[in-house]
Amino acid sequence: MNHSIAILLLVPVAAWAQTANNPPDPEAAAGGGAAFRPYCTPCHGVRGEGGRGPDLTRGVYSAGDKDADLFRTIANGVPGTEMPGFAADLRDEDIRRIVAFIRSIARHDVAGIPGDKAKGEKLFWDKGGCGACHVVGGRGGRMGPELTRIGPQRSPQYLRDAVLAPSKDILPGSATITVTRRDGTKLVGVERGYDNFSAQLMDVAGNYYSFLKSDVQSATRGTRSLMPDQYGRLFTPAEIDDLLAYLVSLRGAEAAR
Amino acid sequence: MKTATALLTLLSVAIAASTVTDQQLRDAQADAASWLTYGKNYQGWRYSPLAEINTTTVSRLAPRWIYQTGAAGSNETTPLVFGGMMYITRPSNNADALDLLTGKQIWHYHKDPPAGLNLCCGQPNRGFAALGDKLFKVNIEATLVALDARTGALLWERQIADYKKGFTATGAPLVVKNKVLVGIAGAEFGTRGFIDAYDAETGERAWRFYTVAAKGEPGGDTWAGDSWQRGGGSTWITGTYDPDLNLIYWGTGNPGPGMDGDVRAGDNLYTCSLVAIDADTGKLKWHFQFTPHDTHDWDAVADPVLIDLNIKGQAVKAVVQADRNGYFYALDRTNGKFLLASPYTRVNWASGIGADGRPLVVPRMEPSETGTKVCPGLGGGHNWSATAYNLDTKLFYFGTADGCEVFFRTKQEFREGQWYQASTDTALPGEPQTGAVVAVDPATGETRWRYQMLTQHTAGMLATGGGLVFTGDGEGYFTALDARTGKPLWNFQAGGGLGAPAITYNLNGRQQIAVAAGSSIITFQLMNGK
Repeated sequence: MNHSIAILLLVPVAAWAQTANNPPDPEAAAGGGAAFRPYCTPCHGVRGEGGRGPDLTRGVYSAGDKDADLFRTIANGVPGTEMPGFAADLRDEDIRRIVAFIRSIARHDVAGIPGDKAKGEKLFWDKGGCGACHVVGGRGGRMGPELTRIGPQRSPQYLRDAVLAPSKDILPGSATITVTRRDGTKLVGVERGYDNFSAQLMDVAGNYYSFLKSDVQSATRGTRSLMPDQYGRLFTPAEIDDLLAYLVSLRGAEAAR
Repeated sequence: MKTATALLTLLSVAIAASTVTDQQLRDAQADAASWLTYGKNYQGWRYSPLAEINTTTVSRLAPRWIYQTGAAGSNETTPLVFGGMMYITRPSNNADALDLLTGKQIWHYHKDPPAGLNLCCGQPNRGFAALGDKLFKVNIEATLVALDARTGALLWERQIADYKKGFTATGAPLVVKNKVLVGIAGAEFGTRGFIDAYDAETGERAWRFYTVAAKGEPGGDTWAGDSWQRGGGSTWITGTYDPDLNLIYWGTGNPGPGMDGDVRAGDNLYTCSLVAIDADTGKLKWHFQFTPHDTHDWDAVADPVLIDLNIKGQAVKAVVQADRNGYFYALDRTNGKFLLASPYTRVNWASGIGADGRPLVVPRMEPSETGTKVCPGLGGGHNWSATAYNLDTKLFYFGTADGCEVFFRTKQEFREGQWYQASTDTALPGEPQTGAVVAVDPATGETRWRYQMLTQHTAGMLATGGGLVFTGDGEGYFTALDARTGKPLWNFQAGGGLGAPAITYNLNGRQQIAVAAGSSIITFQLMNGK
């Protein structure tokens, strides 16, 4: 099914790509808002303000600014990210309406993040010790999520929550695994796999472990993050702003210095 | 002379074994060496008395051969086994005959699906039916084909309905006497569902029963205006048959459009129902509607399983179903009378089932523009996956999806061949659905045990005389549970998710288990002798 729909989609996308961006169409945008709600709000927020997924009100899109780019992103997804393709679920005209809706909510007047990203970078590596668990540009620990291009991937508010209240939203596949061996010793790490019969995890030192549940006392998956929840106390509000300015600035290539 | 006679006798046995007669289908339960029809027997039990693989020996169960189809798509076939061969169907109009001893492909059938299909859910296929020396399967573009079981050659092909309008076919046909019965899919495209019967020899259509009552027909007043014309009522899972009553039992799907009930005010007969149909004429004998005026996509297509029960001291010929709406039901299969219902998962849309079998609906549970949280979710508490009834434990086994989802509704105009569901559902953030295998006492509706799983159950069930229930999960584990306790006794990581039920049969006196997993067919037997 995915194959046949993907092939069908190639034609309208190609034809559409040759025209300039469509002028704003309020009716299409209203229809797009209805389709946006069930499919897009879980990650992009009810008003497109972002969350687990990017803020769409900024009028800046990492996969391209043309209507055809947005269409392609919605239809095919973005490989290597959590953005899936919706070609199997949505008709071409629905996707076009969603594009119109996204255009209609772009503000282009978004204030910058207060804070100094250079200071934030120093806080990240020194006082915060964030690099113990997070990679930026090839440097850092492997247990937590990589942050090399986290800026466009999450909304600023989501990043703020993630720093101050890390357990608020645990991404699928990133839960905390706790294994109690038969001898009573415990191992804790981030999920690398968890199913009805086995558990795989990586600890803070980057060691990888795999267990059959039948071989251990218990192997559980919890939604309390292993990331410390004390950054609100460790950092001053100004330092939090600096750190966020740094995180928001991480856009991939330039971070890999 | 003696040798020649013996050879001739052997030969005639072999020839007889490579065909399937009407009588063999009626006696399928007694033939433990084969698997002749979708549900093992006409009653849909998926129970085999074979007991070589049992609660003690199952620890020695290991693969015998693996057939890798190399094909994409969900592998949902129930293999048929007879005459030294295994017959499997695969997604996208593929099918194979495999040598039972080695898994070697003996013949392959393929037909290119046409462009422009309107698909709700991929291109799966759930298996063959057999009669005489013919095999019958549906193709995704809503055709029925008859193949020569010995060669795979196409004998005839009939168009069941127009795929351009949104019709597709995915279920295993059911052979009854000299007819091949098939259901249809396409309710998400504003089609009108039906069950068809075709002459097995010629492919001519013998009868059609529409699952959506037209204006002027009995039940036609349960549809506002002309909404019946787009009324849905798909029939995409195989029914069952009672030879004594000569009745076919077949579940029907959701009304269309799925989420917007305002455009089709009324109960919307015979959607989300079980219908009992005369096998010879296709005439309706009785119906029972599980979910009147459904707005949550709760197709009632799960196996209607025929069991003779003793309910509160009364012997009753029952038909049971784990319905998608979250309730287990038992009905009198002679007349459709409601016997009992009980919830097997979390339900918030109804406060119970009334004495007449009608749900006591909780207000304001319809899909809405801003989203309505309803339990179970769109896939229902139990979807299509095959169920099983164990004659020894007297328990009924099925998989569940437990949890809730958010249902949305929009206004949508009907256009032929276009998706017509009037919105959709989403998962609840932070509340992923889980799953389970449950064992229900069909005479009381009581859940006897529940084997908890991390994600919603996708595979089907096989019950055996060895006191085992074989099932699996979407993460690729093929599992044997203790039929009496639900305790997992054995598992095998198949390297691909399971979306089909296992079967069992004898090969040279040794019990085999076969199951589709990922894009493979895997067979198992006990290692290191008996």
